[in-house]
Amino acid sequence: MRLETSRLIEKAALSIAASFFASVMLLPSAANAQASPPASSSQTVLASSHDRWLHVRVTNPGRNEESVRVNVPLELAEKVLPTINKDRLHSGRVRFDDIDCHGVDLRALLDAVRTSKDGEFVTVQSKDSDVRVAKRNGTLFVHVFEKNRPKKSEVEVKVPMRVVDALFSAGKGELDLVAGLRALSLQGDTELVSVKDEENTVRVWLDSTNVED
Amino acid sequence: MLLAKIALGFCGTVAAAGAYTFHEGVMRVDEDHFDGRHVHVWVPAAIVPIAMHVVPSRHLSHAAAQAGPWLPTLRALTKELRKYPDAELVEIEDGNQYVRVRTRNGKLLIDVNEPGETVHVACPLAMIEDVSRQLEAQAPGV
Repeated sequence: MRLETSRLIEKAALSIAASFFASVMLLPSAANAQASPPASSSQTVLASSHDRWLHVRVTNPGRNEESVRVNVPLELAEKVLPTINKDRLHSGRVRFDDIDCHGVDLRALLDAVRTSKDGEFVTVQSKDSDVRVAKRNGTLFVHVFEKNRPKKSEVEVKVPMRVVDALFSAGKGELDLVAGLRALSLQGDTELVSVKDEENTVRVWLDSTNVED
Repeated sequence: MLLAKIALGFCGTVAAAGAYTFHEGVMRVDEDHFDGRHVHVWVPAAIVPIAMHVVPSRHLSHAAAQAGPWLPTLRALTKELRKYPDAELVEIEDGNQYVRVRTRNGKLLIDVNEPGETVHVACPLAMIEDVSRQLEAQAPGV
């Protein structure tokens, strides 16, 4: 009887010890599984709907020699930018008062654009290039088409006026990049910049996925 | 029977220590050079912040002073990256050079391939955050 009892106690102790070690071994992986989102076999993990991602893509369609792909969550940029204090960039703001604007008062110019009605503000058509600046539905459009010099290229920039306002909200001589990013994150999916020339294609766009295309 | 109990206790301790050591993953650096030189470093991530406590403070202060201005940025970056799903952050191809920075399962992965040299770094984000926090504590004026 004593021998049986002692064996039973040993078995129970062994089971408890085994369960303890098994749980210790399994806990980290379970904790990791909870802490990190499920892995995927490809880059098809979608970010949550409130996450806004800024994508930059530079391709070289003709030669396929170089390509750049950058995907940045806007919220991450908002949190990280204020920690960088280097040269003109401080606390998420960049100083531009000492940049030569060829005597143009940028703030006054933007005020004029903001307060004016929708329409085409600048249209230049020349032998070498066409330039068009317009405002429509709260978005500023800039379109530049270089015909020949130095090479054929087309640049399209779309900036929501809210973003421009936020950028210039810092005060004189400063651009508030963090405010600009915050305003940008409230926009829907949109293409911001598109550059096409004979060699390269550049695209900057905003959406809710952490994958390209 | 006593020996069995001692063996069980020993194995249990080793298993528990192993589980704790590797629970944050492994920091991995692999370098392969064209001249045949290879560097492979695998370090349990949990050990790195602990090991920093035994590094002489003058060395840590020197490292902290060098990296000082960028430590808050590094800490903020890793803290934020942990909130997001796996992502390809940067991918650059230029002829036969290739750089890729991405996050996967809570790790920051950096791959560099260029003629004659291949570097792969895998570093748990939690570890980078811990290390930057400790270095910040050592850095004057950060």
